[in-house]
Amino acid sequence: MRGIKTLRRTFVKSALVLAAGMATMSAPLTNAAEYAEKEELKFGFIKLTDMAPLAVAYEKGYFEDEGLYVTLEAQANWKVLLDRVIDGQLDGAHMLAGQPLGATIGFGTQAHIITAFSMDLNGNGITVSNDIWEQMKPNIPKQADGKPVHPIKADALKPVIDKYKAEGKPFNMGMVFPVSTHNYELRYWLAAGGINPGYYAPHKGDSSGQISADALLSVTPPPQMPATMEAGTIYGYCVGEPWNQQAVFKGIGVPVITDYEIWKNNPEKVFGVSKEWADKYPITHKKVVKAMIRAAEWLDANNNANRPEAVKILSKPQYVGADYDVIANSMTGTFEYEKGDKREVPDFNVFFRHNATYPYYSDAIWYLSQMRRWGQIAEPKSDDWFMETAKKVYRPDIYAEAAKELIKEGKMKASDFPDFATETGFKPPQTEFIDGITYDGTKPNDYLKKFKIGLKGNDKI
Amino acid sequence: MNPLLELTDVGIEFPTPNGPFCALQNVNLKIKKGEFISLIGHSGCGKSTVLNIVAGLYQATQGGVVLGGKEVNEPGPERAVVFQNHSLLPWLTAYENVELAVKRVFKGKKSKAEMKEWIEHNLELVHMSHALHKRPDEISGGMKQRVGIARALSMEPQVLLMDEPFGALDALTRAHLQDSLMEIQKELNNTVIMITHDVDEAVLLSDRIVMMTNGPSATIGEILDVELERPRNRIQLADDPTYNKYRQQVLSFLYEKQRKPDVEAPAKKAATSESKTEKVA
Amino acid sequence: MSIALSNIAWLEPVVKIAKGENVAENAQLIIKSVGLPLAGILVFLLVWHAAASNINTSLGQFPGPADVVEQSQSLWTEHLTEREKAEAFYERQEKRNADRVANDPSYVPKIREYTGKPTYIDQIGTSLVTVLSGFLLASAIAIPFGIVIGLSANLYSAFNPVIQIFKPVSPLAWLPLVTMVVSALYVSDDPMVAKSFVTSMITVMLCCLWPTVINTAVGVASIPKDLINVSQVLRLSYLEHVRKIVLPSSIPMVFTGLRLSLGIAWMVLIAAEMLAQNPGLGKFVWDEFQNGSSDSLGRIMVAVITIGIIGFLLDRIMLMIQRRVSWDKSAALR
Repeated sequence: MRGIKTLRRTFVKSALVLAAGMATMSAPLTNAAEYAEKEELKFGFIKLTDMAPLAVAYEKGYFEDEGLYVTLEAQANWKVLLDRVIDGQLDGAHMLAGQPLGATIGFGTQAHIITAFSMDLNGNGITVSNDIWEQMKPNIPKQADGKPVHPIKADALKPVIDKYKAEGKPFNMGMVFPVSTHNYELRYWLAAGGINPGYYAPHKGDSSGQISADALLSVTPPPQMPATMEAGTIYGYCVGEPWNQQAVFKGIGVPVITDYEIWKNNPEKVFGVSKEWADKYPITHKKVVKAMIRAAEWLDANNNANRPEAVKILSKPQYVGADYDVIANSMTGTFEYEKGDKREVPDFNVFFRHNATYPYYSDAIWYLSQMRRWGQIAEPKSDDWFMETAKKVYRPDIYAEAAKELIKEGKMKASDFPDFATETGFKPPQTEFIDGITYDGTKPNDYLKKFKIGLKGNDKI
Repeated sequence: MNPLLELTDVGIEFPTPNGPFCALQNVNLKIKKGEFISLIGHSGCGKSTVLNIVAGLYQATQGGVVLGGKEVNEPGPERAVVFQNHSLLPWLTAYENVELAVKRVFKGKKSKAEMKEWIEHNLELVHMSHALHKRPDEISGGMKQRVGIARALSMEPQVLLMDEPFGALDALTRAHLQDSLMEIQKELNNTVIMITHDVDEAVLLSDRIVMMTNGPSATIGEILDVELERPRNRIQLADDPTYNKYRQQVLSFLYEKQRKPDVEAPAKKAATSESKTEKVA
Repeated sequence: MSIALSNIAWLEPVVKIAKGENVAENAQLIIKSVGLPLAGILVFLLVWHAAASNINTSLGQFPGPADVVEQSQSLWTEHLTEREKAEAFYERQEKRNADRVANDPSYVPKIREYTGKPTYIDQIGTSLVTVLSGFLLASAIAIPFGIVIGLSANLYSAFNPVIQIFKPVSPLAWLPLVTMVVSALYVSDDPMVAKSFVTSMITVMLCCLWPTVINTAVGVASIPKDLINVSQVLRLSYLEHVRKIVLPSSIPMVFTGLRLSLGIAWMVLIAAEMLAQNPGLGKFVWDEFQNGSSDSLGRIMVAVITIGIIGFLLDRIMLMIQRRVSWDKSAALR
């Protein structure tokens, strides 16, 4: 098999060289197109539905259109994924928004990672086990049809946690990584309900994040969440899809809230590469971003018309691999809470609309603010520091270059993107948080002062 | 005529945790070319030690061995050994076992064809031509010993050392091999030192029988010249008074002068048994 | 020599029955050599089937024999589909290369390997290549090392404690160290083989080194004194001594070690692939576990059976080689 292949390739190669010779003699040179410095690339991802832009860019041939030969490889967990991007085994990866920021400021593994592409908005949920759900239910107001009123706040969970505390039992919950969106979202939701999720103290060597905690959060890789909860090690978790819907299908837990309801249209994953890589292969990087912009656009096009096809791609074993129905549940604009309680959440997965792919500085600063809030950034930092760090990691300039090229090539319209001439990288102050607190990315320290639970000002653990 | 092999004042001490152990001392022996010598004695009397010193496998701590004017201090093919347990390489055929030795000794001296002929010749001497390409596990114990002898002969040694070559064989096979050995000896007239437990074997084959005292510090007790006509025939000798006189002398050395208290009872039993060959335990 | 691979001993009685010789005895022989193993397998399948239908996991029922057959077929279909996609990939690539050459005549076209997912068959291939490389590397180190320390009682005493300490170390303990060391030392812009391959191979090597070292050393140390005397009388040089006496003499023990090593190598590899996410059957199992689709358990069961069969075949092949090269036929019967 291989032998034949090689033979055939050798033949093709000589044919091409011949063709090249003839081309020199006859064909006039057309425009000297740009070619990627590195054409064979390997990208890592974690089995989550929000890796979709990568799968679609591959399956729809967008990578190949840019002359890129990409291999996609599922990774065991976020740490392995980040380490392999840092040591160069991976050219880039589907990352938690907090990962490039955390790595760059040296929380966890220190390395300068940048991102020029935000992969999606929303897409996470918080799930609790059946047992905890039964205990929460009496505390939740009902709609006329008997179903619970959404969004469900952590206030309903507080009495349960108080009871565990009184009995001296630890209340364990899972999240996927210390700098993951899920960690911050779970913390945000718990804290909004008066539950302290605990502080980190890296300067004292404490990276467990459980100092003064009411609920003890620990790391579990996303695909293992349902199994870990089924085993009774954790009572609930915050994770991306399909692992909340999986709990419903398996009948082992109930998703109580989506992150869309915690913070409407929150930024979620990014595509991260090392700074070194990006400096070495600027054209390649731009081409990757181009392909992924097209993939994201395809995912949202015509009001999610392509989603069923996307779900089919994602359910292949090499991508997410879960059953079609499980993935379809969230990807096609609905979300099933308690079994049978399926509700419309059209924006549960947003890949392109609302400028989802643009790397906003204000998004970066929100994550940095949460790192400060929970002690991952131990020292007080100035607003300027937040700004500088965001600019070091988030690279809308590269995004703009890629987008402009797509517009020039006629593959996209200028109206698909923010107006690059005037875009500052800061979203206007956002108000749609579950606790009603307004976020203004230009004033992170003021923002931190508004929280009842969390470090602010000169607080130190 | 100068002796071919000369042992002068040979002694050996082995280090043990309780201080040195003197196994052998004051062994003096001169052997002429073409002589057939037997070493006989009780177990543990150091017969094998003497042989191993001559072979160069052990180093004497006193005195020394001179062969053809040269001192012996390492093993070598000019002192070929026939080991008690045949010591054939089990992964090689009879032919290949002999070939290994021939190639070592005659490399550059014989052509390929000559070597082949020489190997076959030696195997023929021991009547093994029919099993050239059999491996040791495919032939009987007697046949293995024959190949072992062929291997030793093929090296054209100056002295052939035989360490109880027939000890592990049954009486009938042993007799056959003894006869073969006498035939070969008649033809080649080798210088041989053979260790044996078997009084009949010693008398039948030897020109001289060297009788060893019991250890520790074993040495040569008596040397008996066996002046029987050759070729010797075991059936005729059975009734020969001279032959029986030699037997008697060896037995008397072993069981009266050098009686071992702890082996007395079984030894007596052996002496009174119907077997024609007395064996010393 | 095919006896080892497929036991064809039962063919003989079949032929004899056909000829009408000793029908009763030969029928019994056939029942023994074919019937009993078949009966064993049948009983196993029945128990498996019965047990499977009573075990319910959150991913559905435990896969029974029928699911495994179904999943094997689907894995095979996927393999074929992927091959077709690969063909299409190469065609597209050739066209793109041709276009580029037309545009930029100085460009030397390059054909890249298919970037799609490795199929189940590919994973088996990867695992086999990795395990054999690790095993060969281990053997290349272990046999000479075993010979050297086996020849010298002093060296043996010196190294024995080290060997005994490293022998029981699990691959999972080595893996992080190997991964970091390989990452640090194996740096190249265009590596000939993937880092993950090197990591798996070295882990396999470290774990399967010891049985061969120990058995070789013991085999060498226990060469009969007589054979060593023969070698001395013949004044064989050190190398000749090793080649003509030591090696052949210790071959049965060396092979005992090699077979143990290969068994360990195969087990270690699967674990290493699972943990380090290195391509191969282990990764396949882990990925399917993570996917948690309703087919996953069935596919994992296919892998379990494949792993078992390959492990068995590897051992048989070693046995066959041992029978070929070893003079001691009795040592090769287990």
